[in-house]
Amino acid sequence: MLVPEFRSHSFDASSILRSSHKHDDPVESCIKVENLNLFYGKKQALHDINIEMPKKKVTAFIGPSGCGKSTLLRCINRMNDLVDNVTIDGKILLHDDNIYDKSVNVAALRRRVGMVFQKPNPFPKSIFENVTYGLRIQGINDKRILEETVEASLRGAALWDEVKDRLNDNALGLSGGQQQRLVIARAIAIAPEVLLLDEPASALDPISTLKIEELINELKEKYTIVIVTHNMQQAARVSDYTAFMYMGELIEMGSTTQLFTKPTKKQTEDYITGRYG
Amino acid sequence: MSELNNSMTQSSLNTATTSAYEKWRLLKDAIMHRAVVAGGLSVIFAIVVIFFYLLYVVYPLFLSANAEQVAQYPIPEESVGKTLFLNIEEQNEIAARFTDNGQVIFFEAKTGKTISQRTVLLPPDTKITSIAQGSPVSEGAVIYGLSNGQAVIVKQQYKVAFVGDKRVIAPSLKYPLGETPLVIDDTGAALEKIAFKVGEGSATIVAKTADKIRLTSLEKEQSLFAEEASLTRTDSFLDMPAANITDILVDKEDRNLFLVSDDGSLSFIDISKKDAPEIKQHLNVVDVGQKITSLSFLNGDLSIMIGDSSGLVSQWSLVKDTFNKPAFQRIRAFKVSDKPVISINTEQRRKGFLTVDIDGGMGIYHSTAERELIKEKISDGAPLSTILSPRANALLLQSNDGKIHFWKVDNEHPEVSIKSMWKKVWYESYAKPTYIWQSSSASNDFEPKYSLTPLVFGTLKAAFYAMLVAIPLSLMGAIYTAYFMSPKMRIYAKPSIEIMGALPTVILGFLAGLWLAPFIEENLAGLFALLLVLPMGVMLFAFGVQCLPETMCQKIPEGWDAAMLIPVIMISGWFAFSISIPLETILFHGTLRDWFKTEFGIGYDQRNALVVGIAMGFAVVPTIFSIAEDAIFSVPKHLTVGSLALGATPWQTMIRVVLLTASPGIFSAIMIGFGRAVGETMIVLMATGNTPVMDLSVFQGMRTLAANIAVEMPESEVDSTHYRVLFLAALVLFMFTFVFNTLAEVVRQRLREKYSSL
Repeated sequence: MLVPEFRSHSFDASSILRSSHKHDDPVESCIKVENLNLFYGKKQALHDINIEMPKKKVTAFIGPSGCGKSTLLRCINRMNDLVDNVTIDGKILLHDDNIYDKSVNVAALRRRVGMVFQKPNPFPKSIFENVTYGLRIQGINDKRILEETVEASLRGAALWDEVKDRLNDNALGLSGGQQQRLVIARAIAIAPEVLLLDEPASALDPISTLKIEELINELKEKYTIVIVTHNMQQAARVSDYTAFMYMGELIEMGSTTQLFTKPTKKQTEDYITGRYG
Repeated sequence: MSELNNSMTQSSLNTATTSAYEKWRLLKDAIMHRAVVAGGLSVIFAIVVIFFYLLYVVYPLFLSANAEQVAQYPIPEESVGKTLFLNIEEQNEIAARFTDNGQVIFFEAKTGKTISQRTVLLPPDTKITSIAQGSPVSEGAVIYGLSNGQAVIVKQQYKVAFVGDKRVIAPSLKYPLGETPLVIDDTGAALEKIAFKVGEGSATIVAKTADKIRLTSLEKEQSLFAEEASLTRTDSFLDMPAANITDILVDKEDRNLFLVSDDGSLSFIDISKKDAPEIKQHLNVVDVGQKITSLSFLNGDLSIMIGDSSGLVSQWSLVKDTFNKPAFQRIRAFKVSDKPVISINTEQRRKGFLTVDIDGGMGIYHSTAERELIKEKISDGAPLSTILSPRANALLLQSNDGKIHFWKVDNEHPEVSIKSMWKKVWYESYAKPTYIWQSSSASNDFEPKYSLTPLVFGTLKAAFYAMLVAIPLSLMGAIYTAYFMSPKMRIYAKPSIEIMGALPTVILGFLAGLWLAPFIEENLAGLFALLLVLPMGVMLFAFGVQCLPETMCQKIPEGWDAAMLIPVIMISGWFAFSISIPLETILFHGTLRDWFKTEFGIGYDQRNALVVGIAMGFAVVPTIFSIAEDAIFSVPKHLTVGSLALGATPWQTMIRVVLLTASPGIFSAIMIGFGRAVGETMIVLMATGNTPVMDLSVFQGMRTLAANIAVEMPESEVDSTHYRVLFLAALVLFMFTFVFNTLAEVVRQRLREKYSSL
């Protein structure tokens, strides 16, 4: 019943970005969501979202189940197109290009905006073929390039040492944590700009989760990362910025430290202190 | 609360004190468990029983024959005269001994007790110089050649009568050409060798005197008015030396004459014109240095078995040579012994024969199957006379120790061997060895041709063409339905295709045979045009849709585009068939069928593999479609999404991820479809023409194993060789589908194991 209070507000995330990082280099925005509304049939799932995600930083979306954080994440590489009966209006700008423009090649967009899902989804192929999949579908079959990419990507995903002797084994033989890192390697093999992580560690054991979190820290050197997580500690540990969503609306966004220590909205405070969610 | 908890844990752990409900629950579980196990076991049991039943029926085909002596006794009425030859009638009850002084002694075959003794009416003061049995032996005719140039023909008769419940066989002698001896050589020269053929109103006698070979033909002419019949006689001489002729054979058609001389050569003479016999061929039939020691017609008189002094028995048959002229050729040989073969007794109803060598070694063989069934020693030293009974189940022989031996022969299925079923066989009067299935005929002389190869070939051919139609259609359909079609349309599309599988195949076969086959025959060009017109029509339509204004495009719901193709396909089909006849007239100057015939020599059979391919393809589509669609549809969503998220197009995702993951299911779908096509009966029965030819051409028919069983089983005699061979065909079919399904299942299980962690 607290929701209507905030519905009228349009949240200006960019001002926060600017204000909270005065002392750093100027933060360049990578993805900018403008007035995004999303409907599943007649039901509205996202209400007028405005948010910016800074380049080469980790932005975390938190919020209770069904708040729309995953939906918003999937909008960024247009995975929602695959769902029947979805209507989207508003804009998402990736470096000033609206990804919902008619002329956009969705496949090309997804090569720039990679995604890792909650459940590890390696293909039933060898480790090598999994990592090179993204290249092969682009028609790259040069063995040298593929081999280099495989090594670089697996190293990038901190998996190389564990699998370098069995690259031709079926990827399904790996453990869950290894599979998830393989999926990350597969995603970074095509050198995207943005990595979307949809609860990447929620199906994993604590040690694997730790490895993934360490990996995210390394990856932000190169990629803009957006992560959806249920786990507030995880958000606090890995992200630079955090956005709190509730019932399809963006309630508050700020630097992670600020959001977890001095939330400006009561709902945020209620959520992070465990009153609901 | 805690008490209740306590009691619950107790009751669930301690079965002795369980509540009634708990007992009932456990009982239900146990019953269901047993029922499921019993069901599964009974399925396996049923399959095993079917397998062993088939095996049980087939097994006797491969048993060896056996022979055992059941009686031996002194020669009946030995004092009367020396035995020239023995004979035995069909029931193996009565045997006859023909002596050198014109006596015939009928005796009980099992005991040697004399039944009656007859004297052949020979002119006084003559001696028997030659004797021969007519062909076929079962007619019982015997000719005596006499020292005064005359001949007497007698016929044994065994009249069967029933006295009460007992069968009584009364032997007697008859003179088919009258009791008066026939004067063959008017100069009175002794008839040294003789052969003859006696029919209803005619007889042909070939006799050799010291220096001549004479052919005498007698024709009985029944005058309309006179009671008496008069004999018209034609005489002619063969223009060849007679001195060294050792044996004469006249076939039962009264058309071919064979003379054997002591230098191992055979002369083949056409005697269809009795006044002008024509010598066709002289040829050597044994190796240099060997002698012809015995010869006999094989049943049907189409080939001669020649035994030589090296123990080799060769089969010679009239074969059309390269100039399409009948010529005698050796078609196979059997090494039966190391000793000279002194007698060859051929079976009277099958293509089997019995050989005896000079040491008394006996062997029973079958010519078509090239099978040695028995090898046994039947006497010490050469037996004086041997005779195989008409049913080939008894053997009578007189050994040189003065006794007659009665043997029982158990030789039910000599016609079948691995070679006769699977390899090329040189059948009588065929130009070369071939694969032929021709199991029965009205005639007793018929050589059964039990080659399963054309049937297996036909089965695979039908299945191949059916799969050629079914695999692309059903897999493409499955891919589209599972992956691209809108869920709402899928709800209708999938069950409709699956319900096609419930269509009785007899209806499909009926339609294929009576409607589709003539239709395709008339519109062959249309069918080929369809292959061109249909894709073009679809492309054109797709292009047209692309060009539509956007507002129109958006009205087409996504995933329903296939529905719009239905009218396009119908119009394309109609168009293709309506241009069929003009197309044939313009492009092929007549019909496409004739064009194929004249240009490439490809014949067109109305009921052909094309029709079967379409009809059976139609029957197999639902099977393959249903399983493959399920497999594709159940590919986990997160895999396709993962692929799309990497920037793959839907098509790339389909090919590289979905099909790969669904491959175990698709594989088993194809295998099960193939198994279905192999075992399918009604469609092939009605739409193939059932001609067991081995021709890969799509325009020729075939006969499949299943259809063959359906066609021939009702008319085959129970427990006959034919019957058992049909069961063997069923066994082959069973093994075929069993192996294929097992293979499919094994591969599927392995692939599933590989992908189980998905």
